Amino acid sequence: MKFGLFYEISVPRPWTPEKERTVYNNCLEQVKLADELGFEHVWAVEHHFLEEYSHCSAPELFLTACAMVTKNMQVGHGIVVCVPEFNHPIKIAEKTATLDILSGGRLHVGTGRSATWTELGGFRANPDITKKSWDEFVRCLPKMWMQETFSYQGEFWSMPERTILPKPYQKPHPPMWVAVTSPGTEIDAADRGLGSLGLSFAGFDEQEKKIREYRRRIQMCEPVGAFVNEQVATTNFLFCHEDNATGVEMGKRLGNTFNYLATQLISTREVYSSPSYQSLGLLPALRRAATGPDANEQQTEGMAYGDPARIIRAVKKWESLGVDCINFILNANEVVPQDQVMASLRLFAREVMPHFAKKPAKAQAAE
Amino acid sequence: MPLYGTLDITRQAAHLPTLANLDTEAWALPKAEMMQLLVEVPRSSTDGLLPKAMHPALPSYVILAVTRYPESPVGPFNLAVLRLGSRAGAHPRGFLLGAVASTDAAALELRARWGIPVEQGEVKFLRRHDRIMGTVKKDGRTILDCAMINPQPVAGTDVQYINWVTAANAPLDGTTQPMLIQVDPKYTFYKAERGKPHVSAFDGKAWNAGAITLADPIVATCSTVDTDLPRIRFVMDPLKPVFQGTRRIRESRADE
Repeated sequence: MKFGLFYEISVPRPWTPEKERTVYNNCLEQVKLADELGFEHVWAVEHHFLEEYSHCSAPELFLTACAMVTKNMQVGHGIVVCVPEFNHPIKIAEKTATLDILSGGRLHVGTGRSATWTELGGFRANPDITKKSWDEFVRCLPKMWMQETFSYQGEFWSMPERTILPKPYQKPHPPMWVAVTSPGTEIDAADRGLGSLGLSFAGFDEQEKKIREYRRRIQMCEPVGAFVNEQVATTNFLFCHEDNATGVEMGKRLGNTFNYLATQLISTREVYSSPSYQSLGLLPALRRAATGPDANEQQTEGMAYGDPARIIRAVKKWESLGVDCINFILNANEVVPQDQVMASLRLFAREVMPHFAKKPAKAQAAE
Repeated sequence: MPLYGTLDITRQAAHLPTLANLDTEAWALPKAEMMQLLVEVPRSSTDGLLPKAMHPALPSYVILAVTRYPESPVGPFNLAVLRLGSRAGAHPRGFLLGAVASTDAAALELRARWGIPVEQGEVKFLRRHDRIMGTVKKDGRTILDCAMINPQPVAGTDVQYINWVTAANAPLDGTTQPMLIQVDPKYTFYKAERGKPHVSAFDGKAWNAGAITLADPIVATCSTVDTDLPRIRFVMDPLKPVFQGTRRIRESRADE
């Protein structure tokens, strides 16, 4: 089991230059500590216009800063929006390659298509075709990274022959993932040989079913890149405290705040009837969790908050289902004071990580 | 935390519909044809239109709906409504700003039973092969002229309708008081279509929508559904966040 951090970068109102800067600095301080403690990944989302919920619209800049303050952590785009109105594929290839060089070959590239009308409508993107444009982008990216020259004529974009520079530091190219929120996207991931970057907080049963199908399908995949990245990551909240009741209380506060903010987003399906967005994706799961009493037992049981013993039980359960990596959300709207976030990370590294590490965790060194 | 509305409905209680009780009987409304246009509106133009208990949708949008009800307890009628996209706590809702019904009986009953701020007027629902049109006139003046252009079939599962919230006076705990009422129809789809929304006339003031101007069209749908206006299940304190001020009036729809 690997552990990582997952950043939405949530900033509470009222927004001042100092507050935005403080939140970003807090995140970087957490990342630096997490690197010392033995966490293996830091992921950052690409979101636009999502007030309070996520102010992470330029993740490549944040991830570059993360790479500069860490030595070992892998940095992950979680995810790059593969819709032409958001990002031109040439720019994606160039920026990711640059980040891979600057990080010394520590980049992972998550891909996706955006789930909210707030964002799709903001860029005047057509929700009906985002799956298709994502498919085209993920097939082009490895070629753009690997081929000396590249030309392309597709449905959503085209380019004459040019040399796309720089090339990534990692050879043949960085590992590729896809964000899995809507049911069925785990199949898309498997069929293309991509890692499954789970962003929802579904219960154990649903997760187990998805992982089993992903593992089965990926054996027969036609990878879009030069290699198959068979990995399953999931997302969770983390708040670890010596006292279980305190840990659970703060963890729930964190989770409920995050979920409440998420419910304010306008899912594409809410306003734009489209066969491409049949499912509400991440948002309904969050809504259920946000309403508290409706949250099912498994959702609560699987959360990584409480004392170390409780968190170990939750992580072991995820491990038994075949999850390779859990990425943790540490804060939302800054409801957890920064010193408590840092203490939670240290305690987790000291008391929980050793139960899962193949080698002794670096926690003691950091202490 | 998310923004809240600023409207204090208790200050305009005299202008709100008044319910005799919260025991409204459900209406079955079979084979209704519902055209719905969603349009983004400037956030500043919605200031003061949303109750303090609710969160605004971001971006701001309105739902214009023109529906033909061929059967109802008060006979056939057409209904046009304007709703403001919003949130009641974690749940998407459409706060009802204004409505026009094509018959006096429908207008009277919708006001008295569900607190819909409805007036009588001329409401037309017209289906052509290249478009579906809705027009609304009040006092001889056109206050809405809209259409869904180039209808294309979609699955009913592609269409999502969000529940309504109305503001009304109703008796609760021995006092008739202003409150928010959730109206949550159910839908069984026979047919659904999607097209481009087009609005050629809209008078915001006539819909109690102040200075709302229509900005960016999102999408239009038209569905044939069996629907209803159900019994009232939830009411909300208009001044408190809904997670603090919601009251369950009855357990479920099982008694309908």
